[in-house]
Amino acid sequence: MQKKNETQSNGLNTTNSIIAMDTQKTKKKKKFRGIENPYSGYLFAGPQIILFLVFIAYPVFEGFRMSLFEFSYSSEVFVGLENYKTLFADPVFIKSIFNTLIFVAAIVFFTIMFSLFVATAVYDKTSKYVSFIRGSYYLPVMVSMVVMSIIWNFLLNPANGLINYLMGNAGLENINLLGSTTWVMPVIIFVTFVGNVGQSIILYVASMIGIPEDYFEAAELDGATRWQRIRHILIPLVKPTTLYLVIINIIAVLKIFVVIQLLTGGGPNNASVTMMYYLYQNAFIYNNTGVAAAIGVMMFMIALLLAIPQFKTFGNKD
Amino acid sequence: MKLLKRIKKMEKFDLISNTIVLTFAIISLLPLYWLVTNSFKTSSEIYQMPPSILPAKLYWGNFKELFNGQPAVRWMFNSFFVSFTTTALSVILSASAAYAFAKLHFKGKKIFFMLLIASIMIPKETFIVPLFKIIVAFNWIDTYQAMIVPNLATGFGTFMLYSFFKAIPDSLRESAKLDGASEWMIFSKLMLPIAKPGIGALFILNFVTVWNDYLWQLLMARSKEMNTLTTGVASLQQAINPNIGLKVAGAALAALPMIIVFILFQKYFTKGMTAGAVKE
Repeated sequence: MQKKNETQSNGLNTTNSIIAMDTQKTKKKKKFRGIENPYSGYLFAGPQIILFLVFIAYPVFEGFRMSLFEFSYSSEVFVGLENYKTLFADPVFIKSIFNTLIFVAAIVFFTIMFSLFVATAVYDKTSKYVSFIRGSYYLPVMVSMVVMSIIWNFLLNPANGLINYLMGNAGLENINLLGSTTWVMPVIIFVTFVGNVGQSIILYVASMIGIPEDYFEAAELDGATRWQRIRHILIPLVKPTTLYLVIINIIAVLKIFVVIQLLTGGGPNNASVTMMYYLYQNAFIYNNTGVAAAIGVMMFMIALLLAIPQFKTFGNKD
Repeated sequence: MKLLKRIKKMEKFDLISNTIVLTFAIISLLPLYWLVTNSFKTSSEIYQMPPSILPAKLYWGNFKELFNGQPAVRWMFNSFFVSFTTTALSVILSASAAYAFAKLHFKGKKIFFMLLIASIMIPKETFIVPLFKIIVAFNWIDTYQAMIVPNLATGFGTFMLYSFFKAIPDSLRESAKLDGASEWMIFSKLMLPIAKPGIGALFILNFVTVWNDYLWQLLMARSKEMNTLTTGVASLQQAINPNIGLKVAGAALAALPMIIVFILFQKYFTKGMTAGAVKE
């Protein structure tokens, strides 16, 4: 009550406050806090915090809990680490970890290499050209993995798809790319890469355009070639972007789902099953809720570990 | 002519790289070209090899069937409604939270801000099983709120707008305060207009993210009418139905709104993504 009165009187005595703030700079912050309603912070941030607690924080804890239970239609039984033991004894799950690792490594590698190549080639060209390049690579990202997967499904159809027609014309053997255990992974990697690389290109181009001219002037005077400038100035300068892209791409590939669901369903013979897809199958097809929650917990831990370097840069941003 | 001159001045390495970049840029548009042109072909023309570069004549039958035989209008409405509502609410909530975190003082501010920012990098797919359980407990399955509300819980917008508000000097806020402005007036009349460019970029990015949030919409929609454009079109694709023309037209319809959004708002994408990413 007393505090409230104080706030009000402070708010009314505007002239006093101004004088106080001008003369006592050190006390400025304290004084100002006095005229702020202590509840307005909660009013403004409250809804977001509540949403966070209900739809992020609580499900994360609930996920950990669920991973220790076995579920049937009517009951749940505590089973300790049994779900995790089941998973690590399950060859399909091991396969899904292995596949996820390959996806992550291959897609992130190709994405970073290719987008660096594109960005270093175009960053100093006219803005129209840059827009065109950026747009062409970003449109597949924009129309979403769903549409891209549907298109590739048509193109890769072994009976009447364009790709097999072209392969036939080139004198290659007619193989069902999505139905072959050898080819399914490279094809999925390629399809994901095409539907994903545009974002990295946009970010690289933006950060390269942002580099001040004077970095290049000295190099120009020394007669450095374009390759030398790229190698020794551009690439080192965009290192924070590279780090950021590596992390967000790893996390994006980790949760890869659409391509698998629409192109292969994890097949043939689980050759393209990923952790995310296996989680989905366990949760919503096989009704192994506890097992699915356990996969989720493991993926959560991976994402959390990967995100740590990024939190550090977020922290430095202030 | 100017272009030729410029090309002549390019180093060999530069020229080769750009030729490759340009070639691949055009190639990466081909699948979309295939999609759009094939949606105007009859099914038998789609199967025809070698494919025709352009439809023999513009055939609207696929789209007619899509709109008459399938609830395509409803799917479009659902996609727009869910994306727009989620985005609008999310922008308002993020902006006010970002303002509170940047400028106001309250207990627990630091810890909540840190947790919220930390959650940005964690995909909700990792806790989708308990999240699904919550929605079931709320009895929200097959409703709009199921598709909208969980997606409002994101730290991305708050993080992005935080730096805008942080950059506004305190003195501006103080003098408004001393003139008797309420906290809400300061926020809506003073702070929001300054953060406008950030809000625009956030809006577009958020809209596209929600539009493409396939897995969640797939899990939430039970009835055919509650599907969104992406899940509806994907279900057409998976249905055992030999009508390839219908499937292609569906995919084309799903691609169209995003192509338009991109052409209209290209610059916002660059801005939005860089604002959300790193400061060099």
